[in-house]
Amino acid sequence: MTDRLLQVDDLGVEFQTDEGVVKAVNGVSFDLAPGETLGIVGESGSGKSVTNLAMLGLIPQPPGRITSGRVTYRGEDLLRANTQRLSRIRGRHIAMIFQDPMTALNPFLTVEEQLTEVTRLHLGYTHDEAIAHAIKMLEQVGITGADKRVFDYPHQFSGGMRQRVMIAMALSCNPDILIADEPSTALDVTIQAQILDLMKQLQREHGTAIIMITHDLGVVANICHRVLVMYGGKIIERADIDSLFANPRHPYTIGLLESVPRWDTSHSDKLRVIPGQPPDLAKLPPGCSFYPRCTYREDRCERSVPPAFERPGGGDFACFVDVDAVKPAEERP
Amino acid sequence: MGGVVGFLLRRACWVVITLWIVYTASFILMRNVPGGPFDSERKLPAEIQKNIEARYNLDQPLLTQYFDHLGNILFRGDFGPSFRMTDFTVNQVIAQGFPVSASMGIFAITFAIVLGTLSGIVSAVRRHSVWDVSFMTAATLGIAVPNFVLASLAIVVFVFQLQWFPAAGWGSLRQIILPALCLGAPYAGYIARLTRTGMLEVLGRDYIRTAYAKGLGERRVVMRHALRGALLPVVSYLGPATAGILTGSLVLEQIFALPGMGSHFVEAASQRDYPLALGMVMIYTCLLLFMNTMVDLSYAMIDPRVKIETQ
Amino acid sequence: MAVPQAPSKPTLDASGAEQYARLLEEARGIQGVSLWQDAWRRLQRNRIAMGSLYFIAAVSVLAILVPVLPLQSPLDKDLRDRKNLPPERETVRLGSRDELRFAGNSLAGELGEYEAMLDELQQQVALATGDERIDLQQRLELTRINRDPLRKLWNNPGPIVRGMLRLRVALFGDWCIPSLFGTDDLGRDVLSRVCWGARVSLVVGVVATLVSLAIGVSYGAIAGYCGGWIDEAMMRFVDILYSIPFIFVVIFLLAILGAEDRKQWLEERGINQLVIFYVVIGAFYWLTMARVVRGQVISLKTEQFVEAARVIGAGRTRIIFRHLIPNVLGIVIVYLTLTIPAVMLFESFLSFLGLGVQPPDVSWGLLVNEGTQVITPIKIYWWQVVFSGMTLAMTLFSLNFLGDGLRDALDPRMKNR
Repeated sequence: MTDRLLQVDDLGVEFQTDEGVVKAVNGVSFDLAPGETLGIVGESGSGKSVTNLAMLGLIPQPPGRITSGRVTYRGEDLLRANTQRLSRIRGRHIAMIFQDPMTALNPFLTVEEQLTEVTRLHLGYTHDEAIAHAIKMLEQVGITGADKRVFDYPHQFSGGMRQRVMIAMALSCNPDILIADEPSTALDVTIQAQILDLMKQLQREHGTAIIMITHDLGVVANICHRVLVMYGGKIIERADIDSLFANPRHPYTIGLLESVPRWDTSHSDKLRVIPGQPPDLAKLPPGCSFYPRCTYREDRCERSVPPAFERPGGGDFACFVDVDAVKPAEERP
Repeated sequence: MGGVVGFLLRRACWVVITLWIVYTASFILMRNVPGGPFDSERKLPAEIQKNIEARYNLDQPLLTQYFDHLGNILFRGDFGPSFRMTDFTVNQVIAQGFPVSASMGIFAITFAIVLGTLSGIVSAVRRHSVWDVSFMTAATLGIAVPNFVLASLAIVVFVFQLQWFPAAGWGSLRQIILPALCLGAPYAGYIARLTRTGMLEVLGRDYIRTAYAKGLGERRVVMRHALRGALLPVVSYLGPATAGILTGSLVLEQIFALPGMGSHFVEAASQRDYPLALGMVMIYTCLLLFMNTMVDLSYAMIDPRVKIETQ
Repeated sequence: MAVPQAPSKPTLDASGAEQYARLLEEARGIQGVSLWQDAWRRLQRNRIAMGSLYFIAAVSVLAILVPVLPLQSPLDKDLRDRKNLPPERETVRLGSRDELRFAGNSLAGELGEYEAMLDELQQQVALATGDERIDLQQRLELTRINRDPLRKLWNNPGPIVRGMLRLRVALFGDWCIPSLFGTDDLGRDVLSRVCWGARVSLVVGVVATLVSLAIGVSYGAIAGYCGGWIDEAMMRFVDILYSIPFIFVVIFLLAILGAEDRKQWLEERGINQLVIFYVVIGAFYWLTMARVVRGQVISLKTEQFVEAARVIGAGRTRIIFRHLIPNVLGIVIVYLTLTIPAVMLFESFLSFLGLGVQPPDVSWGLLVNEGTQVITPIKIYWWQVVFSGMTLAMTLFSLNFLGDGLRDALDPRMKNR
C-alpha cells in the first residue's frame, strides 16, 4: 500500500513506576490514509493517548521508554528521527490538539503570541504576516471579532472558544495529519457537537487526515471512517465504522456498544455495564487481557494471547471466540 | 493602566497607615518604659539632666513630644538628634549608613536572583544530571548554613588563607563583594530550589506539551513558555527575601565591620538610643513596603490572570 | 464523569441487592489505608526526610540525656592550662583543676564531702532550737549556694538536671570524654558546650514555635470560621504585621526588656531572659500559621467531602474529628516543622548579636559567635567555629528537609505551595 500517509508498526511503550514497569502500549500497528479520519476508542488507560504521543516523541523519557516499533511518515521513521527533525514535523506536518483546552493553552501568553509562533517558526512568516494569518485562522474556526480577540489571553475565552483556538493553532500550518486527543470530552454537550462539526468542515476544506482519540462511540459514529478499539495497550478490533457498529466481533467492543444508550432499544432493556476494572498494566495476565471481565471467555483465553483474526469485510479482531455462536456466560443456563 | 494607578493609590494608603502604626507603636514602646538613655550609668546633677532633657525635647508632655516628633518627620523629614552619637542627627547617621547597606543589599539580592534562577533552571531542565545534583547540594548547604557561619568561614578561607579580599571596612567595591555574597547565599539557594520545583511543575503542564507538539525547540519552550510560570513562586518569595536580607545585613555588617545602618541599629537598640532606633525601623519598614509593592506589581505583570485592581 | 452509575431503577430484587453488595465489597477492598498510614508510607520512601527524622530524633534524645553523659563541664574555665587547645584525645578528670580545690581533686570526692557536710548540718538543724537553729539554717543555705560542686561546674542546675548529674557521677565517676572538639578561648570544652547548647537551642525552637502555634492556629481558625468583615479586618491586620520588619521590632523589644532595672523586675516575677525570648519570638512568628490555617478552615467549610460526609449521614463529631482535624493537622504539623528551624536560626542570629541567650547559658548561636570572635589573621582556632556551626547547620538542614518531606507526604497536592 503506497498511499499510506502514516504507518505504525509494532509500537511498544513502557513506563517505569513505583509499582513496576507499566506496559502502556504493546505491539500496536495501524496506518492512516490521506484525508481519512481514524478513530481510536478505548477506556482511559488503554494506551490510546500514549500511542499518539509516542509517535511524535512527546513521551517524557524517563520514566517512559519506547521499546519497539516503527512510525513511518512519508517514508521516514519518526522514532529514529533526531529532535530537530521531529521539531520540523511537529506542528508543521503533524499537529495535535488536546483534551482540556483550559490547560493546553499557555495562560501567560496572548493567543496572538501562541498562534504566530507556529507560523513564524515553520513557514517563516514575518510578524505582520503571522498576525494576519492568525486572525484568518481564528475567523475560520468561528471566533467573532477575531482581529481584536487575537490579543486576548486564554483565560478571557470560554472553554469551547479555547478549543477553537487550539484547532486554529493546530491547523495554522495546514498539516497533513491532525491528532485530536479527546477534543470534545471536556466540553459541554452542545459545544461538543459544534467542535466536531467544525472539525468535519475543516477536514473537508483542508483535506487533513485526522486521528480522533476518544472513549465516546458517539463521536466515532459522527466523524470517523475507520475505528481501532484498544484495550490494555493493544488493538483488539479494527474495522470500518459501519461494519464495526453492525457486526462487532470482540466481546469488549460488544460491551462498549451495549453501554451506549440507543434510541431503538426499548426502555425495559437495561444499559449494560462492563463489569470489573480495566487491567493493571503493570501486571498483565499471560493470556487475553480482557479475560477477567469477559462474559464469553473460554479456558484457553486465560493462557494464550489471541492473535488477530480477519474480519469478514476487512479489518481484524483479537479473540478466539466466535461471539455469534456462543452466548455470553450470564445468559447461559 | 488605570488599574495600576488605582492599585498604587490604594497601596499608598495602606503604606501610610502601616507606617503610622509602626511609628506610634515604636514611640509608645520607647517612651513608656521607665529608664531613659541618660539615667542608666551614673546620676547626673539635676541641672544637667534638665538641660539634656530640654535639648532632646524630653521635658514636654508625652503627647506634645509625639506630635512634635511626628511633625518634624512629616514636614521636614527630620528624625531629630541621636541620643548617643552626640553631634549627629539621626538623619546624618542614616545618610552615612544607607549607601553602604543599600549597595550591599542590592548586590546580595541581585546575586541571589541571578545565580538562583539560573541554577534552578539548569537543574530542572537537566534533571538528575551532575549539574542538578551539585547545584542542589550547594543550594541546600546555602540554605542550611546560617549566613553568619558562612561569613566566618569565608573570612577564614578567602581573607586570611587566600587573601583574595580585604578583611573589613568600607571604601571600595571590593570590600563589599564578600559580605554581599555571604548575605545573598541562603537566598540564592532558596531561589534555586524554588525555581527548580516551579520549573519542574510547569514543565509537567499540558501547555508545555502543546508547545512541544507545535514543534518548538527545548530552549524556546523553556525560556518562552515555562519560565514565567516557574518564576511566579520566586517573585512572591522576593518580599520575604528582602526582609531576610535586611536582617542578615545586621549580622554581616558587624562581622565585616562595615559602617552600614545595621551596625548602627544594633548599637542604637542595645544602648537605647531611641530616636536612632526608631528612625531605622521606619526606614526598614519603608524599604520592605516598597519591595512588597514592587513584588505585587511584577506578579501581576507576569501573570495576566491576576487582576491588580482586586488586590 | 467517572462516578459509578447507581442502578437506574433501584429495584430491590435479589440480584440487584447482590450486585450492590458486590460493589460495596469491591469498594472496601480498594480503600482501607488511613491518611496517616498513607503519609507515613510516602515519608518512608523519602530517604532524605527519613535520614533527617533519625538525625533529629538522635539530637533530641542526646539533648535530653546530656546531663547523664560523661561530658566535661561546659562552664569551668581553665585559663592557665587548657586555653584554645585543638581537638585532642587525652581524657580529663572532672574537677581536677587545682583552683577548684576539690577534695581529692575530683568531683566525686568533693561531692561526697559536700553531701557529708550537708547531712551533718541538717542533723544539727534538726537538733538545734531558737536562734541557733535560724543561724544554722542560714549556714545550710549558704553552704548549698557556695560549696555545691555541681553549681560550680554547671549553670544553676534544676532538680531534674541535678538528679541526672548525680547519676552521671555515679555511673562514670570523674571520667570524661576527651576534648574531641578542642577547647575555647577560656579553656572550656567545646564538645560539652555544643551538647549543652543543644538543649537551649532546641528548647527555644520548640517552645517559641508552640507559642506561635497557639496564637496562629486560634487566630486563623477564628478568622476563617467567622468570615465576613471580621475575617477581613483580622487579615488586614496580619497584612500590616507582615510588612513590618518584625526582626527589628524584636531586637528593639529585647533591648528594652533586657535593660538591667527591668530585667530585675521581671526576674522577680519568674520571667527570665529565655522566657521573654520564647514569648517575643513566638508572638511574631504566628503570621504564616494564621494565614495557612485560615485558608484551610475556609476551604474545608465548603469542601465537597464535608458535604459528602454530611449527605451520607455522618454526625457533627465525626465530621470534625475524621474530616476537618486531620486536614488542618497535617498542614499545621508541616508548618510546625518548618517554623522550628526558622526560630532556631533567629535565636542564633540574636545570640550572635548579643541580644539573645545570655551567658552563662549556652546556645549554638552563642557558640558560633564566640568562635568567630577569636578569628584573627594570626591564629585560626577553626574548631571553635566549625563544630558548633556544623551542628547548627545540620539540625536546621534536617528540620527543613523533614518539613518538606512531611509536606509532600501529607498532601502531594500542596507540594509547591
